[in-house]
Amino acid sequence: MKRLKLAITGLTACSGCQLTLLNCEDELPELLERCELIYFPLAESGDLDEASFDAAIVEGAVSTPKDLELLFKLRNASRLLVAYGTCALFGGVAAMNNRVSARVDLLQSVFGTGNKLPDSFPPVPLGNFVSVDATITGCPPETCDIVAMVAALAAGTLPPAPSYPVCTECRSRENLCLLLEKGQLCLGPVVQGGCNARCPATGIVCEGCRGPVREANVAQELELLLERGFGRDEIERRMSRFKPEWNYGQRS
Amino acid sequence: MGSVVEIAPLTRLEGHGSVRVFREGCRVERVELHFDDSPRLFEALLLGKSYAEVPDIVCRICSLCSTVHKVTALLAVEDALGVEVSEVTTLTRDLMLQAGMIQDHALHLYCLVLPDLLGVRGVAELAQVAPDLLKTGLAVKKAGNQILETVGGRLIHPVNIRLGGLGRALGKKELVRLRDELAKVLPAAQEAHRLFSTPFPFPDLPEPEYIALQPADNPLGAQLLRMSDGSSFPVRDYRRHIEETVVGHSNAKLSRVFGKHATVGSLARLNLDATGLEAGAAALFAGHKHELAGKDMRGNNLAQAIEMCHATERALRLLDRLIELGARSEAAAEPSPRAGTGCAAGEAPRGVLIHSYSFDGRGICTGADVITPTALNQGALARDLEALARGMEGEETSRMTTALERLIRCYDPCISCSVHVLSL
Repeated sequence: MKRLKLAITGLTACSGCQLTLLNCEDELPELLERCELIYFPLAESGDLDEASFDAAIVEGAVSTPKDLELLFKLRNASRLLVAYGTCALFGGVAAMNNRVSARVDLLQSVFGTGNKLPDSFPPVPLGNFVSVDATITGCPPETCDIVAMVAALAAGTLPPAPSYPVCTECRSRENLCLLLEKGQLCLGPVVQGGCNARCPATGIVCEGCRGPVREANVAQELELLLERGFGRDEIERRMSRFKPEWNYGQRS
Repeated sequence: MGSVVEIAPLTRLEGHGSVRVFREGCRVERVELHFDDSPRLFEALLLGKSYAEVPDIVCRICSLCSTVHKVTALLAVEDALGVEVSEVTTLTRDLMLQAGMIQDHALHLYCLVLPDLLGVRGVAELAQVAPDLLKTGLAVKKAGNQILETVGGRLIHPVNIRLGGLGRALGKKELVRLRDELAKVLPAAQEAHRLFSTPFPFPDLPEPEYIALQPADNPLGAQLLRMSDGSSFPVRDYRRHIEETVVGHSNAKLSRVFGKHATVGSLARLNLDATGLEAGAAALFAGHKHELAGKDMRGNNLAQAIEMCHATERALRLLDRLIELGARSEAAAEPSPRAGTGCAAGEAPRGVLIHSYSFDGRGICTGADVITPTALNQGALARDLEALARGMEGEETSRMTTALERLIRCYDPCISCSVHVLSL
């Protein structure tokens, strides 16, 4: 059988998505048999050179000229490009202030005004620069999702994309509804499921780490939260944690 | 004629980095260490956020050590707001730290360092040439990860440890299962030191100036930073003693402690105070003392192997204690906002980590400061790279670059962490 030629790497991120692959301890030996990890700097020595790939799995947002250079190289060298994780898909935590603060102010508050600032721009998703063929969401992504992706790629296909909110799994687990029954700022109704509602299952609100579900009724969520006494500022701040831009008027 | 040798990208470590060796003929002029991760500016992003949001956001600094970032952030926020937590909460957080240590050391030793010892490119070839060793390492890693998954509610960026307490109380059955799974890998954790006890045959490197938290046996209550020259200072005063400067070629700031390049991490911890080690690890340490005492960073892999054993034993003891206490559902202490500053330090797998936050009367963050182990180690690493490159003048370039990369891996750097620097 022809082995799948893979590149797995990260741009502006915490390496958590790549680590998620290494966290599949049971599946890893078999994955390593089925794939050729040509470029995976987190766990393999070697450089990009003239290699070509069946798929490049890329974590992180784009926020520097170097990120962009690597992204273009991978797009050109790979048949498929997978946006891996919330930063690659929506910008992620590093992008949370994109709409509210100027990049230069953020940089200066960390590096000072007298110093040369690193060359960077507000973090944005991969899709702003290149075409993306498949996605895995989550901060961090679920281990089963990366296994399913690699397995599907090896079989010459792509895994199905779920399109139900966190609430679907949360209700089927019979958790107490933190939004309706406890009046907490839970983002479950508008956020992509697939995590088996792991946060609400521990009694902690959905913080929205998997980004918007398809056809999210954002306006209704906003109304529900405003009715419960949360301020518009606080709601927008919480919604922006993993994705800076939402259409607050969207009713699916 | 002058020439530059570049090692880019640095591999089998977290983040983006590169090294440049500037040579005049075969003489090494200087070595530059570049940390190229894009700065994510967490300290600036946290300003204006509520105290309750801080730990959830800031743990995203790093995935490998998200547990210790989260715990340290919780402690710092609780310090600022004057929140006390229960015994079960403290024991659970301690357990999470040990599990984080187990999985992180196992990842570093078995997936990132072991290929160097066996002369292969990485984890894929490892699966071919030493499948059993890889499986052993992955089994240890998995036992740590299962604790993070079950107790933390999520493997990376844990959710179940929260301000004032726990989200969900753990059931006895779950704790017993975790203990039994972890007990199965104890023999492997006890044997790991054999693999990693031979340091790479490099020319000698400068003797490090270690720094670590005290007391070593209380990972959640350590208040003092001690250096190998005997000097010490309270964590609270860290800003007076740790000086940070911006260096042009790196996106991480360079930290100096008392004007010196400090070395943090497993080797520093064992050198400064090994009295907190659990029995099995203490015996290992006694047997290897001469290979660790006062040694340079090449000894860090062995030190990590001993700590992996220690963390396994400690986690087993904590699990036993939690099982004994029984599952009890207790309401988390509800913090109320107040103006103030809080500070906490922890020992991350790679060394000393400090978080500090200030809040106004409404609990809105007005100042955030994170000092990471890799930022602390950066100066010592750059110094050692230069010493090693000089020590290998005249040798084949590929031998030198291989040695430099191996040395960097001994430091187990986490570059995405290091590029989050304090606000001025």
